[in-house]
Amino acid sequence: MTTADGSVLGSTQIFGSAPRNRAFNVVLLAEGFTAAQQNDFNNAATAFLSAFRATPPYDELSPAINVFRVNVTSTDAGADDPASAGGTGATARTYFDASFGGNGIRRLLVCNSATALQVALAQVPEFTVVLVVVNSTIYGGSGGSVGTYSLAGGATEIAIHEMGHTAYGLADEYPYYAGGNETGHDHHPAGEPTEPNVTTNTDRNTLKWRWAVAASTAIPTMSNPDCTQVDSRPSPVPAGTVGLFEGAHYYHCGGFRPEYDCKMRNLGVPFCHVCRQVIWNRIGPLATLPARATTPVSVIARYPEHLDVFAVAGDGRTMSDWWDQSTGWAGWFQLSGGIASPGGHGSPVTAIARYSGHIDIFTVGTDNRVYSAWWDVATGWSGWFAIGNLQCRPGSTVNVVARYADHLDLFTTASDGRIMSTWWDARTGWAAWFQVQGGVAAVGSTVTAIARYPFHLDLFVVGTDNRVYSCWWDDRSGWHNWFAVGNQLCRPDSTVNVVARYADHLDLFTTASDGRIVSTWWDARSGWGTWFQVSGGVAAAGSPVTAIARYSNHLDLFVLGTDNRVYSTWWDAATGWAAWFNVSGGVGQAGGQVAAISRFTEHIDLFVVGTDGLVYSTWWDGATGWAGWFQLGIT
Amino acid sequence: MSEPSQPGRPAAVRLIFEYEGDQVRLVAQQRVDVAVPGLDLDVSPTPRPGHYVEARSTTNQALSRVPVREAFGGSVEVFPEEPGSPITRVDVAEPRGAFSVVLPVPEAAEQVAVVRVTQRQPEAPSLAGGATSPVPGESEIDDIASFPLEAAG
Repeated sequence: MTTADGSVLGSTQIFGSAPRNRAFNVVLLAEGFTAAQQNDFNNAATAFLSAFRATPPYDELSPAINVFRVNVTSTDAGADDPASAGGTGATARTYFDASFGGNGIRRLLVCNSATALQVALAQVPEFTVVLVVVNSTIYGGSGGSVGTYSLAGGATEIAIHEMGHTAYGLADEYPYYAGGNETGHDHHPAGEPTEPNVTTNTDRNTLKWRWAVAASTAIPTMSNPDCTQVDSRPSPVPAGTVGLFEGAHYYHCGGFRPEYDCKMRNLGVPFCHVCRQVIWNRIGPLATLPARATTPVSVIARYPEHLDVFAVAGDGRTMSDWWDQSTGWAGWFQLSGGIASPGGHGSPVTAIARYSGHIDIFTVGTDNRVYSAWWDVATGWSGWFAIGNLQCRPGSTVNVVARYADHLDLFTTASDGRIMSTWWDARTGWAAWFQVQGGVAAVGSTVTAIARYPFHLDLFVVGTDNRVYSCWWDDRSGWHNWFAVGNQLCRPDSTVNVVARYADHLDLFTTASDGRIVSTWWDARSGWGTWFQVSGGVAAAGSPVTAIARYSNHLDLFVLGTDNRVYSTWWDAATGWAAWFNVSGGVGQAGGQVAAISRFTEHIDLFVVGTDGLVYSTWWDGATGWAGWFQLGIT
Repeated sequence: MSEPSQPGRPAAVRLIFEYEGDQVRLVAQQRVDVAVPGLDLDVSPTPRPGHYVEARSTTNQALSRVPVREAFGGSVEVFPEEPGSPITRVDVAEPRGAFSVVLPVPEAAEQVAVVRVTQRQPEAPSLAGGATSPVPGESEIDDIASFPLEAAG
C-alpha cells in the first residue's frame, strides 16, 4: 500500500485558461481507481468542477482559476475500511494509501498527504490546492493541507469547505467542538482570533467586518442566552444579513460569526458575505484590474523599498496593490468592501502615510459622503467610516496633507462647489467640516494643498471664473482670504498641481483653457512670477499635469498629450526646461492622468490607466533610464 | 503598451514539509514561477500568531514570510453525512502530516525556517475614532526547524 501500488499517468487541464503562474490552480488526484476505472475518475473530476463553479464566489472568479485532474492508477479499487472503526474490514492497495477510520472514526478518510503534494508538484508545480478523490461510495473526507473526499453524495462539500481553511485561512464558524454536548467550550478564550471570519469583539466601530454591517443591523445581532448550550434558535434577521452572531470558533458564547449561516459553519449552504470577500481577495489579485476609465491612481512610498498603489475598479470598487522589494507586486485587492462615487472622473482613493507603519485613505462614497479607512502594520486594514455628513460633488477628490505625524488636513468640494475642510488630530479626533474662507470651486476642479512648514498650509483651486486661486493658513494668523494667482484662464475641470522644491518656494502647474500646459512660481523673496507655457506642451482634455521634485534644483512633469500618449519633461536649474518626450511608448486612457512618485532621488515610478482600461506602470532609474510599461497586477 | 518587465521580480520556491509533533522534515524544494498574492504574504515585523515559513539571509534576517495553514493542529474535522448535522472535531494524540508553501526568495536568501509565533498577551481590540493605531499584543517567534536553500538550478 504505497506508490508501488500504482502509477501516475499524467495531468489534464479540465477548466480555465489563466496563465498557470498567475492562477488559482486546483489539482484533483485520483486515488483507488484502477487502470480500468480512470474514466470514473474523469467523471468525478467533472462533477467536482460543476459543484465548485456553482459555488459563489467561484462562479465570478473563473478568469483566474484553473482546474487539473491527475490520473493515477492503483492496483486495487477503493480504500482501506478498518473494521475497528466500524468498517467492512476491506483493504486496498492504492497509490496514496487512503483509509477510512482515521482516529477510529469511519467517516474520517485520510491519505498520505506528503505523497499527494509531491505528485502535485511533479505534475502541476504551480498548484494552489490539492484534493484527493477517493474511489468509494462510503461517505468520508478530511481536511488538512490536502483535502480528501469520497464519491458519496455531497462529499464535494467537504473539499470546498476545506479549501476555505487551506487556501484562505478561514476559521470554522460552528459553535461547538464535538457537536454541542462537550464541556469546556461554553466561553471563547480572551483575545481576538487572527482569522478574518470570527471575532470576540462586539464593538460595532472596530469590528473587523464592520464594512459589511448595515447601520440598521443590531450588534450583537444574536446573543446566546445559555452558554452551557449551543443556541439553536432560528435567525432573527433575514438570511444574508451581516452582523454579529454569537457562537463560533468551537465555542457556544463569546465567539462571533458574521452571518447566521455559512459554509464554514455548515456544509451545503453558501459562504457568507465576509468569507466570499476573503476568497475574492485571494483569487482576484491574480487577475488584472479593469479600472474605472479615468480614475486617478494614487501612490505612496512608506519607505524606499515599498509602494502602495490605490485605484478604483470599473465597477467602483476601491482597490489597492503593493510592491515590496523582497516580494514583488502583491496583486489587486478590494479595500474593506469600499465603493467610490461615480461622476466626473470618479472619486479616487487618496492616501497618505503619516509614518512608515500606517496608511490613511480617503474617498467619496456612493452616497457622496467622505469616507476614510486606515491600515496599520500591527492590525491590518480597518473598515471604512464616514467623516461627518458633508455632501460632496459626485466624483469629488479628497486631498489630504499631514503637517505632522499626528495630524491630518482634508480638502474637498461640497455638492454646491464650496471648498470644504476638516482636520483630524490624535488628541482631539475629527473636527466638523467648514467652508474655507467662502471659496467656491469650478465644476470638476479639485482643491490641492501643500504644507511647506508644519504650521503653514497653501491651497490652490480653479474658481468659478476659471482663474487660479490660492489662500493660506498659518498657525499664528489663521486662514487668509482667497486671491487670484495672475489672470491665467484655465480649463474649468483643471487641477492645480503644486510642488515645493524647498520651503520658501512653490511651483504651480495647470492647463490653460486651450489645453496649454502652464506654470508659475512663488518665492518668498520675489513673490509670484508670471504664467508661462512649459516647452510648448498641450494636454489632453481632462488630463492634469503631474509634477515631482526629486531634489531642490530639479522638476519632472508628466501628462497625457493631445494624442493621449504619456509625455514627460524636466527642468533643471542648470539647463532650464527640456523638450517633451514620450515615455517608453506609453498611451493612456483619454482624460486620464499620470501618477508619479520618487522613492529615492535617482528613481521615478509612473502609473497610468492604459487604453485597454488596465493599470500600467513603468520606472526610470538614473543608471538604466526608462523601462518598458508593464500591467500592474501580481508579480 | 505592455512589455514583460517588472522591477525587482524575486524568485519563488515550492517547499513541501512533513511533520510529526514538532519534528519537521523538508521533503522537497523546487524553484517555481508562481505569483504569491498579498493575502499569502506577511511582511509585518510582528507577525500574528500561527505557523510561518521564512526565507532568511546568512545573518538570520527574515527576508520574506508566508503563513502555514492547516498544519500542526491538535484536532481534525469530522464531517456529517446528513446535511444540517454538525461538523465536529476530534483530538489527535500527536499531529502529523504534510504541508506545502510557495515562498518568495530574494537573492540574499540562504535558508528557510519553519517558525511558530505565539502571543504573550491577548490582543487589544482596535480603537474607535479613525486614524489611531491600536496597541497589539506582543508576539514571540520560535524556530521549529531550518533548512539550507538550494541554489537556483
